[in-house]
Amino acid sequence: MKNFIKEFTKGIIRENPTFVLVLGLCPTLAVSVSVVNGIGMGIAATFVLLGSSLIVSLVRDFIPDKIRIPCYIVIIATFVTIAELCMKAYSPVLDRALGIYVPLIVVNCIVLGRAEAFACKNNFRSSFCDGLGMGVGFTLALILISAIREFLGSGRILGHTLIKGFEPVFVFGMPSGALLVIGLLLGFFNLLKNRKT
Amino acid sequence: MKEMFRYGFILALICTIAAGLLAAANALTRPKIFAQAQLEERAGLKEVMPAAAGFKAVKPEADKEILYYKAFDSQDKLIGFVFKASGKGYSSMVETLVGVFLDDKISAIKVISQNETPGLGVRITENKFTGQFSNRNSLDLSGVQVIAGATISSRAIINSVMKKAREIKELIKNEK
Repeated sequence: MKNFIKEFTKGIIRENPTFVLVLGLCPTLAVSVSVVNGIGMGIAATFVLLGSSLIVSLVRDFIPDKIRIPCYIVIIATFVTIAELCMKAYSPVLDRALGIYVPLIVVNCIVLGRAEAFACKNNFRSSFCDGLGMGVGFTLALILISAIREFLGSGRILGHTLIKGFEPVFVFGMPSGALLVIGLLLGFFNLLKNRKT
Repeated sequence: MKEMFRYGFILALICTIAAGLLAAANALTRPKIFAQAQLEERAGLKEVMPAAAGFKAVKPEADKEILYYKAFDSQDKLIGFVFKASGKGYSSMVETLVGVFLDDKISAIKVISQNETPGLGVRITENKFTGQFSNRNSLDLSGVQVIAGATISSRAIINSVMKKAREIKELIKNEK
Protein backbone atom coordinates (compact mmCIF):
# COMPACT_ATOMS: atom_id res chain seq x y z
CA MET A 1 0.00 0.00 0.00
CA LYS A 2 2.79 2.39 0.95
CA ASN A 3 4.41 1.63 -2.38
CA PHE A 4 1.30 2.66 -4.26
CA ILE A 5 1.06 5.94 -2.41
CA LYS A 6 4.69 6.57 -3.31
CA GLU A 7 3.99 5.88 -6.99
CA PHE A 8 1.05 8.25 -6.83
CA THR A 9 2.75 11.17 -5.06
CA LYS A 10 5.97 11.11 -7.06
CA GLY A 11 4.08 12.43 -10.10
CA ILE A 12 2.83 15.43 -8.18
CA ILE A 13 6.08 16.88 -6.85
CA ARG A 14 9.26 14.81 -7.14
CA GLU A 15 8.72 13.82 -10.77
CA ASN A 16 6.16 16.41 -11.82
CA PRO A 17 5.73 15.96 -15.59
CA THR A 18 5.80 19.66 -16.35
CA PHE A 19 8.27 21.13 -13.89
CA VAL A 20 10.69 18.25 -13.35
CA LEU A 21 10.42 15.91 -16.33
CA VAL A 22 9.63 18.90 -18.60
CA LEU A 23 7.37 16.82 -20.86
CA GLY A 24 4.29 17.83 -22.84
CA LEU A 25 5.06 21.53 -22.88
CA CYS A 26 3.36 22.28 -26.19
CA PRO A 27 -0.24 21.81 -24.96
CA THR A 28 0.77 23.39 -21.65
CA LEU A 29 1.91 26.56 -23.40
CA ALA A 30 -1.12 26.67 -25.66
CA VAL A 31 -4.11 25.98 -23.43
CA SER A 32 -3.01 27.65 -20.19
CA VAL A 33 -4.77 30.91 -21.11
CA SER A 34 -7.54 30.37 -18.57
CA VAL A 35 -8.02 28.15 -15.52
CA VAL A 36 -11.09 26.47 -17.03
CA ASN A 37 -9.05 25.38 -20.05
CA GLY A 38 -6.28 24.16 -17.78
CA ILE A 39 -8.64 22.02 -15.71
CA GLY A 40 -10.36 20.61 -18.81
CA MET A 41 -7.09 19.73 -20.49
CA GLY A 42 -5.76 18.24 -17.25
CA ILE A 43 -8.79 16.00 -16.79
CA ALA A 44 -8.70 14.81 -20.42
CA ALA A 45 -4.98 14.03 -20.20
CA THR A 46 -5.43 12.27 -16.84
CA PHE A 47 -8.18 10.07 -18.29
CA VAL A 48 -5.95 9.12 -21.23
CA LEU A 49 -2.94 8.52 -18.98
CA LEU A 50 -4.92 6.33 -16.61
CA GLY A 51 -6.48 4.29 -19.38
CA SER A 52 -3.33 3.81 -21.43
CA SER A 53 -1.10 3.04 -18.43
CA LEU A 54 -3.58 0.45 -17.22
CA ILE A 55 -4.01 -1.27 -20.58
CA VAL A 56 -0.32 -1.14 -21.49
CA SER A 57 0.66 -2.75 -18.21
CA LEU A 58 -2.00 -5.43 -18.64
CA VAL A 59 -0.92 -6.42 -22.14
CA ARG A 60 2.81 -5.84 -21.67
CA ASP A 61 3.68 -9.56 -21.83
CA PHE A 62 1.59 -10.05 -24.92
CA ILE A 63 3.11 -7.23 -27.01
CA PRO A 64 6.45 -8.09 -28.66
CA ASP A 65 9.23 -5.58 -27.98
CA LYS A 66 9.80 -4.71 -31.61
CA ILE A 67 6.29 -3.42 -32.30
CA ARG A 68 5.55 -1.95 -28.88
CA ILE A 69 5.48 1.70 -30.03
CA PRO A 70 2.74 1.30 -32.69
CA CYS A 71 0.75 -0.79 -30.21
CA TYR A 72 1.03 1.92 -27.54
CA ILE A 73 0.03 4.59 -30.01
CA VAL A 74 -3.10 2.67 -31.05
CA ILE A 75 -4.07 2.21 -27.40
CA ILE A 76 -3.44 5.87 -26.57
CA ALA A 77 -5.25 7.12 -29.68
CA THR A 78 -8.29 5.05 -28.76
CA PHE A 79 -8.51 6.65 -25.34
CA VAL A 80 -7.93 10.12 -26.76
CA THR A 81 -10.74 9.71 -29.27
CA ILE A 82 -13.10 8.47 -26.58
CA ALA A 83 -12.19 11.47 -24.41
CA GLU A 84 -12.73 13.80 -27.35
CA LEU A 85 -16.14 12.33 -28.20
CA CYS A 86 -17.26 12.60 -24.58
CA MET A 87 -16.09 16.19 -24.43
CA LYS A 88 -17.97 17.04 -27.62
CA ALA A 89 -21.12 15.43 -26.26
CA TYR A 90 -21.11 16.81 -22.74
CA SER A 91 -19.10 20.03 -22.87
CA PRO A 92 -19.05 21.60 -26.34
CA VAL A 93 -17.83 24.93 -24.96
CA LEU A 94 -14.72 23.34 -23.47
CA ASP A 95 -14.24 21.32 -26.63
CA ARG A 96 -14.11 24.49 -28.68
CA ALA A 97 -11.77 26.22 -26.23
CA LEU A 98 -9.26 23.34 -26.28
CA GLY A 99 -9.64 22.72 -29.99
CA ILE A 100 -6.84 20.81 -31.64
CA TYR A 101 -5.01 20.18 -28.35
CA VAL A 102 -7.34 17.36 -27.31
CA PRO A 103 -6.57 15.15 -30.35
CA LEU A 104 -2.93 16.13 -29.89
CA ILE A 105 -2.83 14.31 -26.52
CA VAL A 106 -1.99 11.29 -28.70
CA VAL A 107 1.50 12.65 -29.24
CA ASN A 108 1.82 14.15 -25.76
CA CYS A 109 5.19 12.97 -24.48
CA ILE A 110 3.82 12.42 -20.97
CA VAL A 111 1.45 9.67 -22.10
CA LEU A 112 3.85 7.81 -24.36
CA GLY A 113 6.67 8.48 -21.90
CA ARG A 114 4.82 6.83 -19.02
CA ALA A 115 3.83 3.86 -21.18
CA GLU A 116 7.44 3.39 -22.26
CA ALA A 117 9.22 4.22 -19.00
CA PHE A 118 6.85 2.78 -16.43
CA ALA A 119 3.75 0.88 -17.51
CA CYS A 120 5.58 -1.64 -19.72
CA LYS A 121 7.76 -2.71 -16.78
CA ASN A 122 5.35 -2.67 -13.85
CA ASN A 123 2.14 -4.42 -12.82
CA PHE A 124 -1.21 -2.79 -13.43
CA ARG A 125 -1.74 -1.56 -9.89
CA SER A 126 1.52 0.40 -9.76
CA SER A 127 0.91 1.62 -13.31
CA PHE A 128 -2.56 2.82 -12.35
CA CYS A 129 -1.12 4.80 -9.42
CA ASP A 130 1.67 6.13 -11.59
CA GLY A 131 -0.73 7.26 -14.31
CA LEU A 132 -3.07 8.87 -11.80
CA GLY A 133 -0.19 10.64 -10.06
CA MET A 134 1.24 11.93 -13.33
CA GLY A 135 -2.20 13.07 -14.48
CA VAL A 136 -2.87 14.91 -11.23
CA GLY A 137 0.62 16.45 -11.35
CA PHE A 138 0.03 17.62 -14.90
CA THR A 139 -3.39 19.04 -13.98
CA LEU A 140 -2.01 20.89 -10.95
CA ALA A 141 0.84 22.33 -13.02
CA LEU A 142 -1.65 23.48 -15.67
CA ILE A 143 -3.86 25.08 -13.03
CA LEU A 144 -0.89 26.90 -11.50
CA ILE A 145 0.34 28.24 -14.84
CA SER A 146 -3.10 29.17 -16.13
CA ALA A 147 -4.06 30.87 -12.85
CA ILE A 148 -0.98 33.10 -13.06
CA ARG A 149 -1.57 33.81 -16.74
CA GLU A 150 -5.29 34.42 -16.44
CA PHE A 151 -4.81 36.75 -13.49
CA LEU A 152 -1.98 38.78 -15.00
CA GLY A 153 -3.28 38.62 -18.57
CA SER A 154 -6.93 39.46 -18.05
CA GLY A 155 -7.17 40.38 -14.36
CA ARG A 156 -9.56 37.53 -13.65
CA ILE A 157 -9.54 34.02 -12.21
CA LEU A 158 -12.22 31.58 -13.39
CA GLY A 159 -13.96 34.57 -14.92
CA HIS A 160 -14.21 36.52 -11.66
CA THR A 161 -12.49 39.86 -11.24
CA LEU A 162 -10.27 39.70 -8.16
CA ILE A 163 -8.86 43.21 -7.80
CA LYS A 164 -10.89 46.15 -9.06
CA GLY A 165 -8.91 48.61 -11.16
CA PHE A 166 -6.12 46.14 -11.93
CA GLU A 167 -4.87 46.89 -15.42
CA PRO A 168 -4.18 43.53 -17.14
CA VAL A 169 -0.83 42.91 -18.83
CA PHE A 170 -1.85 41.57 -22.24
CA VAL A 171 1.45 39.84 -22.94
CA PHE A 172 0.63 37.13 -20.37
CA GLY A 173 -2.35 36.05 -22.42
CA MET A 174 -0.15 35.52 -25.45
CA PRO A 175 2.34 32.73 -26.27
CA SER A 176 5.31 34.86 -25.20
CA GLY A 177 3.69 35.26 -21.79
CA ALA A 178 3.25 31.50 -21.55
CA LEU A 179 6.96 30.93 -22.16
CA LEU A 180 7.84 33.59 -19.58
CA VAL A 181 5.60 32.11 -16.88
CA ILE A 182 6.70 28.52 -17.49
CA GLY A 183 10.37 29.52 -17.61
CA LEU A 184 10.18 31.41 -14.34
CA LEU A 185 8.26 28.59 -12.64
CA LEU A 186 10.79 26.01 -13.87
CA GLY A 187 13.59 28.16 -12.48
CA PHE A 188 11.75 28.51 -9.20
CA PHE A 189 11.25 24.74 -8.85
CA ASN A 190 14.90 24.10 -9.69
CA LEU A 191 15.95 26.62 -7.06
CA LEU A 192 13.85 24.77 -4.47
CA LYS A 193 15.40 21.45 -5.50
CA ASN A 194 18.95 22.78 -5.33
CA ARG A 195 18.33 24.31 -1.92
CA LYS A 196 17.28 20.92 -0.54
CA THR A 197 20.39 19.12 -1.81
CA MET B 1 9.20 -14.51 -41.86
CA LYS B 2 7.20 -16.21 -39.12
CA GLU B 3 7.94 -13.28 -36.84
CA MET B 4 6.55 -10.85 -39.37
CA PHE B 5 3.18 -12.61 -39.50
CA ARG B 6 3.03 -12.85 -35.73
CA TYR B 7 3.68 -9.11 -35.35
CA GLY B 8 1.16 -8.30 -38.04
CA PHE B 9 -1.43 -10.48 -36.38
CA ILE B 10 -0.89 -8.94 -32.94
CA LEU B 11 -1.07 -5.40 -34.30
CA ALA B 12 -4.20 -6.25 -36.28
CA LEU B 13 -5.79 -7.76 -33.19
CA ILE B 14 -5.10 -4.66 -31.11
CA CYS B 15 -6.42 -2.41 -33.88
CA THR B 16 -9.60 -4.49 -34.19
CA ILE B 17 -10.30 -4.22 -30.47
CA ALA B 18 -9.60 -0.47 -30.59
CA ALA B 19 -11.92 -0.05 -33.59
CA GLY B 20 -14.69 -1.92 -31.78
CA LEU B 21 -14.32 0.29 -28.72
CA LEU B 22 -14.38 3.44 -30.84
CA ALA B 23 -17.47 2.30 -32.71
CA ALA B 24 -19.24 1.75 -29.39
CA ALA B 25 -18.14 5.15 -28.06
CA ASN B 26 -19.26 6.82 -31.26
CA ALA B 27 -22.65 5.12 -31.19
CA LEU B 28 -23.16 6.24 -27.58
CA THR B 29 -22.13 9.88 -28.01
CA ARG B 30 -23.39 10.59 -31.51
CA PRO B 31 -27.02 11.45 -30.74
CA LYS B 32 -25.82 13.58 -27.83
CA ILE B 33 -23.34 15.50 -30.02
CA PHE B 34 -26.03 16.02 -32.66
CA ALA B 35 -28.49 17.28 -30.07
CA GLN B 36 -25.89 19.65 -28.63
CA ALA B 37 -25.13 21.11 -32.06
CA GLN B 38 -28.83 21.67 -32.74
CA LEU B 39 -29.43 23.18 -29.35
CA GLU B 40 -26.54 25.54 -29.88
CA GLU B 41 -27.80 26.51 -33.32
CA ARG B 42 -31.28 27.24 -31.96
CA ALA B 43 -29.90 29.30 -29.08
CA GLY B 44 -27.69 31.26 -31.48
CA LEU B 45 -30.57 32.00 -33.86
CA LYS B 46 -32.79 33.11 -31.02
CA GLU B 47 -30.07 35.39 -29.70
CA VAL B 48 -29.53 37.34 -32.91
CA MET B 49 -33.25 37.45 -33.76
CA PRO B 50 -35.16 37.64 -30.45
CA ALA B 51 -38.28 38.94 -32.21
CA ALA B 52 -38.76 35.71 -34.16
CA ALA B 53 -40.79 32.74 -32.98
CA GLY B 54 -39.62 30.17 -35.53
CA PHE B 55 -36.84 29.59 -38.01
CA LYS B 56 -36.60 27.68 -41.23
CA ALA B 57 -33.31 26.70 -42.83
CA VAL B 58 -32.97 27.46 -46.54
CA LYS B 59 -30.88 25.03 -48.56
CA PRO B 60 -30.35 24.97 -52.31
CA GLU B 61 -30.70 21.19 -52.28
CA ALA B 62 -31.53 18.76 -49.53
CA ASP B 63 -27.99 17.61 -48.76
CA LYS B 64 -26.24 20.94 -49.38
CA GLU B 65 -25.08 23.35 -46.71
CA ILE B 66 -27.54 25.80 -45.22
CA LEU B 67 -27.48 29.17 -47.01
CA TYR B 68 -29.45 31.20 -44.50
CA TYR B 69 -32.45 30.95 -42.20
CA LYS B 70 -35.83 32.55 -42.62
CA ALA B 71 -37.22 34.00 -39.41
CA PHE B 72 -40.98 33.99 -38.76
CA ASP B 73 -42.98 35.68 -36.01
CA SER B 74 -45.73 34.01 -34.01
CA GLN B 75 -48.29 34.62 -36.83
CA ASP B 76 -46.00 32.78 -39.26
CA LYS B 77 -45.19 36.02 -41.07
CA LEU B 78 -41.69 36.43 -42.52
CA ILE B 79 -39.88 39.12 -40.52
CA GLY B 80 -36.25 38.66 -41.47
CA PHE B 81 -33.28 36.45 -42.12
CA VAL B 82 -30.39 35.01 -40.18
CA PHE B 83 -27.10 34.20 -41.90
CA LYS B 84 -23.55 33.27 -41.06
CA ALA B 85 -20.71 35.54 -42.18
CA SER B 86 -17.06 34.64 -41.99
CA GLY B 87 -13.94 36.65 -42.66
CA LYS B 88 -10.21 36.36 -42.12
CA GLY B 89 -9.22 38.05 -38.88
CA TYR B 90 -5.75 38.51 -37.45
CA SER B 91 -5.03 34.87 -36.63
CA SER B 92 -8.20 32.94 -37.47
CA MET B 93 -11.44 32.87 -39.39
CA VAL B 94 -13.99 34.93 -37.51
CA GLU B 95 -17.53 33.58 -37.87
CA THR B 96 -20.51 35.69 -36.97
CA LEU B 97 -24.21 34.95 -36.86
CA VAL B 98 -26.23 37.92 -38.09
CA GLY B 99 -29.94 38.59 -37.81
CA VAL B 100 -31.46 41.14 -40.22
CA PHE B 101 -35.00 42.40 -40.62
CA LEU B 102 -36.71 42.73 -43.99
CA ASP B 103 -35.69 46.42 -44.25
CA ASP B 104 -31.97 45.45 -44.04
CA LYS B 105 -31.71 46.67 -40.44
CA ILE B 106 -29.58 44.41 -38.25
CA SER B 107 -31.34 42.88 -35.25
CA ALA B 108 -28.16 41.68 -33.52
CA ILE B 109 -24.92 39.88 -34.26
CA LYS B 110 -23.03 37.24 -32.33
CA VAL B 111 -19.50 35.96 -32.83
CA ILE B 112 -19.77 32.17 -32.92
CA SER B 113 -16.22 31.14 -33.68
CA GLN B 114 -12.89 32.93 -33.49
CA ASN B 115 -9.34 32.36 -32.32
CA GLU B 116 -7.98 35.88 -32.10
CA THR B 117 -5.26 37.20 -29.83
CA PRO B 118 -6.30 36.89 -26.18
CA GLY B 119 -6.76 40.28 -24.57
CA LEU B 120 -6.77 42.18 -27.87
CA GLY B 121 -8.62 40.64 -30.81
CA VAL B 122 -10.83 38.60 -28.50
CA ARG B 123 -12.61 41.79 -27.46
CA ILE B 124 -14.59 41.66 -30.72
CA THR B 125 -16.87 39.21 -28.91
CA GLU B 126 -17.74 41.80 -26.25
CA ASN B 127 -21.04 43.57 -26.28
CA LYS B 128 -19.34 46.94 -26.50
CA PHE B 129 -18.39 46.09 -30.06
CA THR B 130 -21.16 43.77 -31.25
CA GLY B 131 -23.84 45.98 -29.70
CA GLN B 132 -22.96 48.72 -32.18
CA PHE B 133 -24.36 46.64 -35.04
CA SER B 134 -27.94 46.60 -33.78
CA ASN B 135 -30.35 48.82 -35.75
CA ARG B 136 -27.73 49.65 -38.37
CA ASN B 137 -28.24 49.06 -42.07
CA SER B 138 -26.52 45.77 -42.85
CA LEU B 139 -25.39 47.03 -46.26
CA ASP B 140 -23.56 50.05 -44.86
CA LEU B 141 -21.64 49.55 -41.63
CA SER B 142 -19.20 52.45 -42.01
CA GLY B 143 -20.38 53.97 -38.75
CA VAL B 144 -19.22 51.07 -36.57
CA GLN B 145 -16.27 52.03 -34.37
CA VAL B 146 -13.44 49.50 -34.49
CA ILE B 147 -11.71 48.51 -31.25
CA ALA B 148 -8.34 50.14 -30.64
CA GLY B 149 -5.71 47.39 -30.77
CA ALA B 150 -8.05 45.04 -32.60
CA THR B 151 -8.51 46.84 -35.90
CA ILE B 152 -7.96 43.78 -38.11
CA SER B 153 -10.31 41.58 -36.11
CA SER B 154 -13.00 44.29 -36.00
CA ARG B 155 -12.66 44.98 -39.73
CA ALA B 156 -12.98 41.25 -40.44
CA ILE B 157 -16.43 41.22 -38.87
CA ILE B 158 -17.62 44.50 -40.41
CA ASN B 159 -16.52 43.57 -43.93
CA SER B 160 -17.67 39.97 -43.81
CA VAL B 161 -21.11 40.97 -42.52
CA MET B 162 -21.55 43.61 -45.24
CA LYS B 163 -20.35 41.26 -47.98
CA LYS B 164 -22.59 38.41 -46.89
CA ALA B 165 -25.56 40.74 -46.42
CA ARG B 166 -25.24 41.86 -50.06
CA GLU B 167 -24.92 38.26 -51.24
CA ILE B 168 -28.01 37.20 -49.34
CA LYS B 169 -29.96 40.22 -50.64
CA GLU B 170 -29.04 39.23 -54.21
CA LEU B 171 -30.08 35.68 -53.53
CA ILE B 172 -33.44 36.64 -52.10
CA LYS B 173 -34.11 39.03 -54.99
CA ASN B 174 -33.46 36.26 -57.50
CA GLU B 175 -35.81 33.96 -55.67
CA LYS B 176 -38.77 36.28 -55.87
